[in-house]
Amino acid sequence: MTPEAAAASNQVVMGASFWIATALFLLAYGLIVSEKIHKTIVAIFGAALMIVLGIVTQEDAFHSIDLGVDWNVIFLLVSMMIIINIMKPTGVFEYIAIKSAKAAKGKPFMIMVIFSVVTAVLSAFLDNVTTVLLIAPVTLLICQALELDVVPFLITEALASNIGGTATLIGDPPNIMIASRAHLDFMAFIYNLSPVIVVALIAYVITLKFIFGRRLTVKDELRQRVMAMDEREAIKDPRLLKKSLVVLAITITGFVLHGMLHLEPATIALFGAGLLLLVSGNKEPHRILAEAEWATLFFFVGLFIIIGGVVKVGLIRWMSVEVLKITQGNLLGTSMIVMWFSAFASAFIDNIPYVATMNPLIIDMAKQLWPNLSGLQLLHHPDLMPVWWSLALGACLGGNGTAIGASANVIIVGMAEKMGKPISFKKFMLYGMPLMIESVLICTVYVWLRYYVLKI
Amino acid sequence: MKAKDLMVPIQDYLKPEATLREAVNLLRVARKGKERQGVKGLPVLDRDGKVVGMLAMRDILKAVYPSYMSMMHLGDFAWDGMVESLAKQVGNDRVEAHMSRDVVTVRQDKPLMECVDHIVTHNVARLVVLDKTDKVVGMLYERDLFFSIVKAMLDENNRGGK
Repeated sequence: MTPEAAAASNQVVMGASFWIATALFLLAYGLIVSEKIHKTIVAIFGAALMIVLGIVTQEDAFHSIDLGVDWNVIFLLVSMMIIINIMKPTGVFEYIAIKSAKAAKGKPFMIMVIFSVVTAVLSAFLDNVTTVLLIAPVTLLICQALELDVVPFLITEALASNIGGTATLIGDPPNIMIASRAHLDFMAFIYNLSPVIVVALIAYVITLKFIFGRRLTVKDELRQRVMAMDEREAIKDPRLLKKSLVVLAITITGFVLHGMLHLEPATIALFGAGLLLLVSGNKEPHRILAEAEWATLFFFVGLFIIIGGVVKVGLIRWMSVEVLKITQGNLLGTSMIVMWFSAFASAFIDNIPYVATMNPLIIDMAKQLWPNLSGLQLLHHPDLMPVWWSLALGACLGGNGTAIGASANVIIVGMAEKMGKPISFKKFMLYGMPLMIESVLICTVYVWLRYYVLKI
Repeated sequence: MKAKDLMVPIQDYLKPEATLREAVNLLRVARKGKERQGVKGLPVLDRDGKVVGMLAMRDILKAVYPSYMSMMHLGDFAWDGMVESLAKQVGNDRVEAHMSRDVVTVRQDKPLMECVDHIVTHNVARLVVLDKTDKVVGMLYERDLFFSIVKAMLDENNRGGK
């Protein structure tokens, strides 16, 4: 196909449905950003309108991965929520946190470092909001015991959770969404993202040393309060804990092997959730199921349908044509623009709707670059891979830029406020923005070096 | 019998802008009937005499209980002196920050069963009694309801009602 013919086939018809869908999309995103109405309500109603107005059919919305709900994402999220909700009452997370504080010998900077690293590692396997909800309460207790200002600890944990979450397929919703649409498996994320995240985390800890290393001191008698805590008392249900850990190990092994087993990550997670529900002997599954974050799940469902609408009318294709005009098909340039644009976009808007929009945009862009390819040959084109990784790195790490950049930040700020220690937008940004730029710079060097210089 | 027949007329109340320290002091010496023997809860009234909240013993316990402790099982890791030091810290907080805002009220001309209904369904120990203009006129205590039930049960002339 000649470039002219390709351009002609990409011609977008800007008819009535194009403008209706575009208006609906912009209105929905505007309302989500303004927070005037809860984002889940906006997403559900916007999705319903997309179907009622005939932009997408219900068949598209419910059954097409290109134009509707990506159930892979929904089932992966809900299954992981079920596993965590069963594990939570065993006390394992309290155990880990108290043990960490004691391992730091009650020394404040060591506690900050160990809590940050533990948060990052947990975030790589659990979602970030869950992780901070598990770590922050113990942090508040420890800081109360040591009579320390809790704010720096809370901020550093939120930032660490966003860094750690970037490392794996299941760590952060943007990665789950990218993995599903680009058909990338768990190990691909481990090979491509985990190494640079380890480096970014080390750099983060070193930076914390410069910022807080000398500022945090505490009296010996207060440290005794922490050292006197017995983490074994945290374990409320050792039998359930053993079962949970076995199921979790099976599930993570399943993630590692899912490419080889030809099973989607959502299938692995669903298997884990089902198995744990079965072996836990739970007589009232409705309680565990009710604790899943349905508002988040329905936000995804609605968003997928809204995006499906603008994909169907060609808005996304039109945007991808415009992006290609800017980048002139230069893929190093595209990767860099995608990474930095994603970082700053995610710092100010929710990265979930952002990535939901970028996924089809990148696929459309690839279709124009390689019109003769399709399926995995297209999605996994060697020149396209760094663009996917740049999107993941930018969108996940960008969340660190501001207090509203990631859900984990919002939770932390809310908790601090409840404790009578409000964290202003400016104060969060003072820590978050430089640390975000640091980590994205590291990723920039990494992507350039690995995919464009060394080409490995 | 109606609510107004069983209520204790309002004597002491709290202001939303008072400190917790002032509030607990009043709780300690407030009049119950004729004696200054202290009460377990007082209504919080604004300038117009409208009830805006209720401050009871449980609210004082909750004031020193950090919100993070209820988010996870952390009770095993508290230390000696924690309650005392937090009590000193929250002493200067305003009453409105810690009062319960869901106040259960009853009109003074309502029958006792409505009072029982409120106390049982809302699981509270006292009701704020209002007049027709929503002005607070008294407090109705669970204990007094109990005594009136006891009296009805034991009264030989009153079996099965009149």
